[in-house]
Amino acid sequence: METGTMLKTLQDPMGIPFYPLVFQVLMVLTFALHIMFVNFTIGTSALAVYGHLRKEENWKQLSKSMARAVSVNVSMAMLLGIAPLLFVQVVYDPFWYASNTLSAAWVMGFIIIMMVAYSSAYVFYLGREKREGKGFTFYGVLALALFLSAGIIMHVLGYQLLQPEKWLGWYIKGDAVNTSGTSLHAFQLPRFLHYIIPSFAMTGIFLMLYAWYFKNREDMDKGYLDWVGRIGAKTAFLFTAMQSVVGFWWLLSLPGEFKFLANPFFLVGLVLGIALLVFLYSARRDPVRYAIPSILGAFVTIFAMSYTREALRMKYLGRFNYSIFDYKLDIDWGSTALFLATFVMGLAIIGYLLSVAYKSGRVAGEYVATPSMNKWGSISIALLLIWIVLVAGLGVIISVRNYL
Amino acid sequence: MYPIWEVPNLTAGIILALIATFHILPSHLSVSAMWFNIYVETKAYKENRPELLEFIKKYSLLLLIFSYVLGSLSGIGIWYAATVANPRGISGLIHNYVWGWATEWVFFIIEVTGIFIYYYTLGKVDRKTHLKIGWIFAIGSWPTMVIIVGILSFMLSPGKWPQTGSFFDGFFNQTYWSQLFMRTTLMFGISAAYAIAAATRLKNEEVRKFITKTASMWGLAGIILGSVLFLWYLKTLPAHPQELIAILAPKTLKMGMMGAAGLLVLYFIYANIKPLTIRLVPAILAIVVLFGGIFSTERMREMIRKPYIISQYMYSNQIIGKDIPAKGVSAETKIINERGILRVSPFVPQGLRDINETNLLQAGKMIALIECLSCHTLNESGLRPLPKMIKRVGLQEVETAQGFLDGLGEYPYMPTFAGTAMEKKALATYLVSLNKQ
Repeated sequence: METGTMLKTLQDPMGIPFYPLVFQVLMVLTFALHIMFVNFTIGTSALAVYGHLRKEENWKQLSKSMARAVSVNVSMAMLLGIAPLLFVQVVYDPFWYASNTLSAAWVMGFIIIMMVAYSSAYVFYLGREKREGKGFTFYGVLALALFLSAGIIMHVLGYQLLQPEKWLGWYIKGDAVNTSGTSLHAFQLPRFLHYIIPSFAMTGIFLMLYAWYFKNREDMDKGYLDWVGRIGAKTAFLFTAMQSVVGFWWLLSLPGEFKFLANPFFLVGLVLGIALLVFLYSARRDPVRYAIPSILGAFVTIFAMSYTREALRMKYLGRFNYSIFDYKLDIDWGSTALFLATFVMGLAIIGYLLSVAYKSGRVAGEYVATPSMNKWGSISIALLLIWIVLVAGLGVIISVRNYL
Repeated sequence: MYPIWEVPNLTAGIILALIATFHILPSHLSVSAMWFNIYVETKAYKENRPELLEFIKKYSLLLLIFSYVLGSLSGIGIWYAATVANPRGISGLIHNYVWGWATEWVFFIIEVTGIFIYYYTLGKVDRKTHLKIGWIFAIGSWPTMVIIVGILSFMLSPGKWPQTGSFFDGFFNQTYWSQLFMRTTLMFGISAAYAIAAATRLKNEEVRKFITKTASMWGLAGIILGSVLFLWYLKTLPAHPQELIAILAPKTLKMGMMGAAGLLVLYFIYANIKPLTIRLVPAILAIVVLFGGIFSTERMREMIRKPYIISQYMYSNQIIGKDIPAKGVSAETKIINERGILRVSPFVPQGLRDINETNLLQAGKMIALIECLSCHTLNESGLRPLPKMIKRVGLQEVETAQGFLDGLGEYPYMPTFAGTAMEKKALATYLVSLNKQ
């Protein structure tokens, strides 16, 4: 069976319920958010372990904060990973499913690895709170190593996906098939590194944010915060520079036929990447002041790079005449509206929650909400109740119409 | 058809079932636990009993780690397991319900940010604000159940969807409300069992007594109401699954469900009368019993969906068995019967696409991998092992085995055989060979 025909055969016959561009934008946007927290997770895990091994008081304190940050970062990474995982299956189903079933045992291994990694990260964080000492280093190192292994698995799945011409060769040996799912078939070092190196650059910016966030807290030591900010800015610049080298390495390893150097997505990503590097160079002078623009700039760059990655995928799969824009459409306005409305509502509610977290962390004692914050909270609760009433109402109408 | 993943002795389906069952505890706990928290927290503030907050701290950490570390991961695990066990099944669901899942995801974000902030800001923000966060979490996590029940129940009872192809017709199907209310009440049984376990770690005896007594009442109400609603749920099931319950459901599963409910009722009554005698080990045992009961119920739900993975649409072996004209989808069985499963599936060795006398056995095994493996292992032991079943039916001759395959669709839980006459012969040859092993 010719590869292009195979891909068409594998596509879901139901079609997709909305325009592919919308799924693509959502997929790339949520992937960018996801990978940012993956980077934070790996970077803060590494820093937590490193600081734990150092003797200086500053490092000890930073390690403690980082260990706590890991638990939140990994949760966010998982949470934000769900959306791109969902959307990739909508528009790239043949590729995602084939790549996953070919390495099925590893796909399940990923879950086990993440469970152990996450639990170890918690033991590292909570265990040290109770008892001082180096005994918990093991759990920190284990968590970091497992987070990286999980990254390798995801990288392989994402890379196998791009090579449908090789799938049959991986699966079939003579007249028999390999159903064990225990092999990982494709790995590309520069591509993998391009996802991992930013962990340290992003964590550098994370530290700048940390210094910025706590600067007005009376119970925090100024010297310590300055130190954290400086380390952050230095790391952010250094690893962003390294990232650009790895980026070119990856670029050069791509098939020449893609002419990716002239790809507009790539060029936008490149310009933003260079701008970020220059910006971070200046940020070293005053990390606290540059913290917010740095994270915004970094996110815009990550988003552009994520779209570049998507453009690259379109190049890879275009070789087999696959385009998500040819997907059979079966538009469903009702469920699309349900999502969009819920999404907007969700932003308002999540905004409230994050504001409480933000404001409460900035004061040393108990945070007392302002009347406008209280109002925002009450509106959030009301929105949720309205959502339930509307959806239940819709359900009742449909049930009455269909069954009574 | 995608590449097949064979898990010796188990089948990929069982891996999926195990993860899915585990996930029930954290997921139901996540939806119900905060109601209990808010109740206790409100009481602590109103009656000025700050000592109750010690429980809030413990129970929230349990919720955070159990539901949002292990629970989130096992939830993603279900998805991954479904991906590798039944990719076309999960694809069919996603291509219909992607916006449903995306909507649920918005509530996940509210839940996860909510629980972290609730846990970390206890005592660090004013009481009113902290309770508000609790309320947002409690109300905001129920919609995750409101949504997932629509998709889950759709798989078993797709309502008017086969005719209309409409998202909401499939979502609000005939078993939707009964299942939603059953899960909503049962989840309080789950949160109560966990609250009692968390309470055993409390130092203050008064608090422990109060929590255990209160939780036991919540638990009792949850289990009893849930059981009653379960009976309603059974009544709302379509005729086919009803029939399958009568034929298929093994006594052990029925006993598992009823036994667990009975034991839990006794446990909660005992906990109410003698709250301080409950220690950590029995409290955990109660959770294990709960798990057993839920496991039985969920296995039953999976069983009575047969022969489908998505009822009235796709068979368990991922072959589309019915036309859905509203979606422009035709059954694949016709084309497979004409051209052959080994010809239309992409992931088949070239040498097996044309069957002849020399490759009959190998081709037969390939067909078994594609069409049987989702429910039967090809080993001697494990889940519904084919060799054992063939021996039990006593298939000795290829002709009889072919006749058996012809009649497959007459079993209410088996899909019809899909393939050409030659493929049927190949599969029959393979099946008979299993009998001779």
